[in-house]
Amino acid sequence: MTSQPDSPLPAGAPVPATRVVIVDDHAIFRSGLKADLDAGIAVVGEAATVEDAVRVIGEALPDVVLLDVHLPGGTGGGGRDVLAGCAALLGTTRFLALSVSDAAEDVVSVIRAGARGYVTKSISGAEISNAVRRVAGGDAVFSPRLAGFVLDAFGTSPADIADDELDRLSARELEVMRLIARGYSYKEVAKELFISIKTVETHVSAVLRKLQLSSRHELTRWAAERRLL
Amino acid sequence: MTTAPLRPPLTRGGDRMIAGVCAGLARHLGWPVQMIRAGMVVAAFAGGAGVAFYAWLWIMVPTADESARRNARRPASPIAPAVSAPVQSPDAQGNTATAGEPWRFRLAGMPYGKEILLGVGLLLAAGILVARLLGLDVPLGTLIPVAAILGGAAIAWMQLDETRRTGIMDKAKANQAGGWARLAAGLALVVAGVLVMVSGSGSWQQTWLALLASVAVLGGVALVLLPWGLKFWRDLETEREGRVRATERAEIAAHLHDSVLQTLALIQRRAGNEQDVIRLARAQERELRGWLYRNAERDEGQLSDALQAAAAEVEDALGQPVDVVSVGDSAMTGRLEALVMAAREAMLNAARHGGGPVSVYLEATGGAAEIFVKDRGPGFDPAAIPADRLGVRESIIGRMRRHGGTAVIVSNPDGTEVRLSLPLAPDTATPPASPATPATPAQAPAPTPTPSSAATPPVPTRHTPAGTTTKDMP
Repeated sequence: MTSQPDSPLPAGAPVPATRVVIVDDHAIFRSGLKADLDAGIAVVGEAATVEDAVRVIGEALPDVVLLDVHLPGGTGGGGRDVLAGCAALLGTTRFLALSVSDAAEDVVSVIRAGARGYVTKSISGAEISNAVRRVAGGDAVFSPRLAGFVLDAFGTSPADIADDELDRLSARELEVMRLIARGYSYKEVAKELFISIKTVETHVSAVLRKLQLSSRHELTRWAAERRLL
Repeated sequence: MTTAPLRPPLTRGGDRMIAGVCAGLARHLGWPVQMIRAGMVVAAFAGGAGVAFYAWLWIMVPTADESARRNARRPASPIAPAVSAPVQSPDAQGNTATAGEPWRFRLAGMPYGKEILLGVGLLLAAGILVARLLGLDVPLGTLIPVAAILGGAAIAWMQLDETRRTGIMDKAKANQAGGWARLAAGLALVVAGVLVMVSGSGSWQQTWLALLASVAVLGGVALVLLPWGLKFWRDLETEREGRVRATERAEIAAHLHDSVLQTLALIQRRAGNEQDVIRLARAQERELRGWLYRNAERDEGQLSDALQAAAAEVEDALGQPVDVVSVGDSAMTGRLEALVMAAREAMLNAARHGGGPVSVYLEATGGAAEIFVKDRGPGFDPAAIPADRLGVRESIIGRMRRHGGTAVIVSNPDGTEVRLSLPLAPDTATPPASPATPATPAQAPAPTPTPSSAATPPVPTRHTPAGTTTKDMP
């Protein structure tokens, strides 16, 4: 289920297009998404199963993989299995999780497996193109819902100095997460907190790192309550 | 035939003396429990009929929590989960409550019960002795083994009953050893009673031989039957699992048929009307999500549920997606009802004038519940709302103020955000005059509340650039 790589960039384009592989088991969704992505993004491969995805990503070496959370094949872990299969590429290829699922379990598990962000499938083509570029630039992409999960899991009180650095969010990170959960774009967050967009991105990346690396007791308990892990 | 008023199901439990049979019977029949107990004791002397009846009910009638579990496992009608669930759950809860509460009571009163039993036993023994002294021929040779068998069976059954119940209630198995000891003692009593009765005499020699023989026979039978029994048990388990799976499958199929397939059919018929299709798809998506990701252990009717329901209403009414993200939760109160109503008003305004999706964020942690409703509309100047517009002023700001909360509206060309905040405990209510975020530019001036205005239908108060207010309200 692979298509030959399209010609990566239009001749004379000043900025090289962001090369993307779409991994989703619904052909209709893949073609719709392809049509929605804007001109600066080139789809260089598609895959429908875990095995296909690992192979296509290994061959195409894209900048960003748009990864569905639920996929057939592998060990049944869906997107997580793809991330595990591409573990060696995580430094160069970024993964953006894409899901119709609202379950905390699905979202948090792909993030913890190494995805750089999570968006719902219902967002517009422009938003998704933006998210792809942001992930390609090394930033994290948080939807309001993911920010809500993070606040739910880490708690809404800021870190004490004594706490393990990974186990709590700093006051500033909490503010950023709250604003994202309220539906603010990064630009609006920056304006609201009188900081630069770059600083917002730094905070979000820090939260992503904590979400991926934290082994805090409460995150485990929170996940267990929602039957994760 | 007239239908009698619905009786509570015949279950054991409640205020139990031995196994809760009398209590359950009393509840089922609606008679006083003392009467049933007295009747049972009287019947017990009528050739042991009462004892046999009691034992039969003990075996046949399920305990209250067993029957509650059976009810709970019966799949709720997938067609209308919202309708059938509340009908069923209070019943199940009521059952477990009545079963759980007196059980603790009984444990507490246990020493007392033991003494009474001991007293009754001693009285009986004394009565028999007196009867013998008076020259009556009491067949002790049969009475003692029979008493031993009955007593042993009762002890063993009580223990089995209890292990089943604690197995349901907690898996701690704290006093498992004691339980096993009681079970073993009960069985030993029964075996001894049977042996003595069968061997006829009281001679130790004979009893001992009979015991050896019977143990040997039992061992042999167990050896032969054990593999067969295990296989039978395993078959039963697999069959049960298969049935559970089939039930689940049937439930899913029924649900999909009643919801998704119906919606798809509707969408095909209305394919021409884009707005209708979006609305249908959105409503179906919401319903399916709720069904898939519902958490059975979670309490229903929390603040977040009320907010979700309000958002769904707005979505259905105006066809504009409303995304709700909630962190933390709280049980609903009358004051939170007001908060949800204010949020609903804000969502209506946002969906009507904002254009594009509406983001709603609820945070109910710490001492306050906060709701933020954000849209991406062209914005408006809250200070320029004419005094006679009631939508924002009354339904949002005034309502929050009356309940000790605050409402702040921030609007700029990129969109509008309504920030509602309400302390969860009423006594910690901040004075309404001081808004939570003093830096916000657009705290509207104090309204002149009219008591009747809360019921006034919402009036769109947006899209009124400063200076060009249109007054279409009397």
